[in-house]
Amino acid sequence: MVDDIDGELDAAAQMAADETLLDDVAGGGPPVLRLYRWSRPALSLGRFQPVDDVDAPACRRRGVEVVRRPTGGMGLLHGGDVTYAVAMPRPAGADGSVDAVYRLLAGGLIAGLARLGVAAAVARHGGPAGPVCFAGQQGADLRVGDRKLCGSAQVWRAGALLQHGSVLVERLAFDETELLRARPGSPPVSRERLRAATVTLQELGAPTDPRHVAHALVEGFAEALDLDLSRRVGSTARRG
Amino acid sequence: MDFPDELRYSEEHEWVAVDGARARIGITDFAQDSLGDVVYVELPGVGANVMAHATCAEVESTKSVSEIFSPVTGTVVEVNEALNDAPEQVNADPYGAGWIFVVEMADPAEVDALLDAGGYRALVEEA
Repeated sequence: MVDDIDGELDAAAQMAADETLLDDVAGGGPPVLRLYRWSRPALSLGRFQPVDDVDAPACRRRGVEVVRRPTGGMGLLHGGDVTYAVAMPRPAGADGSVDAVYRLLAGGLIAGLARLGVAAAVARHGGPAGPVCFAGQQGADLRVGDRKLCGSAQVWRAGALLQHGSVLVERLAFDETELLRARPGSPPVSRERLRAATVTLQELGAPTDPRHVAHALVEGFAEALDLDLSRRVGSTARRG
Repeated sequence: MDFPDELRYSEEHEWVAVDGARARIGITDFAQDSLGDVVYVELPGVGANVMAHATCAEVESTKSVSEIFSPVTGTVVEVNEALNDAPEQVNADPYGAGWIFVVEMADPAEVDALLDAGGYRALVEEA
């Protein structure tokens, strides 16, 4: 199988790599797709998410790196997921709206997940939520039934955009509810509630080998998108 | 969708209300609708020098983080700090309580190059 996945970088390097993709496209480069895993568990925060949301001692106890994403949204734990990143020029006209780009890329993700035997759909928009990304659903996300399987976020800059997102493959021994604090006046998200709100590929009986998952997503994007994403960046094609 | 006649508009979807040499700036009804629920606005600093059509602030919605551009060149003299506690005003009242910053313009004639309401409406309908 083609090795489509990049799994050797720490959290800060992964985010730096995605920012580089965005900068390259903003500078006139072609669209690019990257799939990756995380070298150890990491908690990623949205671009402007308050740092007070983080329970730093709990992260240290669990050996979790904390990193800030260039994209919006709330905190999520990486380690049991496969992450994708697409950087592309802003499409012209009506295709260039935030919603239209989410719909476009959702088509690739849904086609990829279908290759794993998973029937995913675009989530319903639930509006602003608390500090845990996977506890809420936005129109940018993918669900199976009512349970969230994939969370995505975007940043738009200089005529280009970066969308990255996390497909839950399997659960770790701990989750975001241990690592993110409840906000004043809001009830904490319980572990049970988060589990009930989410689903993993493993729980769906789908393949869980990260290379298999990544390959399916690459094929899904190729099948569903009228975008040349052939300049993939993975462990076999990473730029220095 | 509402595009008040008394405002001028940038192709990057900001509006400008001119009062002498001062320009009050926000994002348009079209922009806020496209972004969805705004959850945070990174305001420019008072005293910052801004260039026409260069980025000077950012807005985060539940869907994305996007740049805000200054439609005119000048110095930021006022920012809407109420958005720190109530960013949703950008959605609820984009041309009123959702204003973002005020620029003392270096060259008020720059406004003449911006779109009027009809031109902006045509731009948006084209999109």
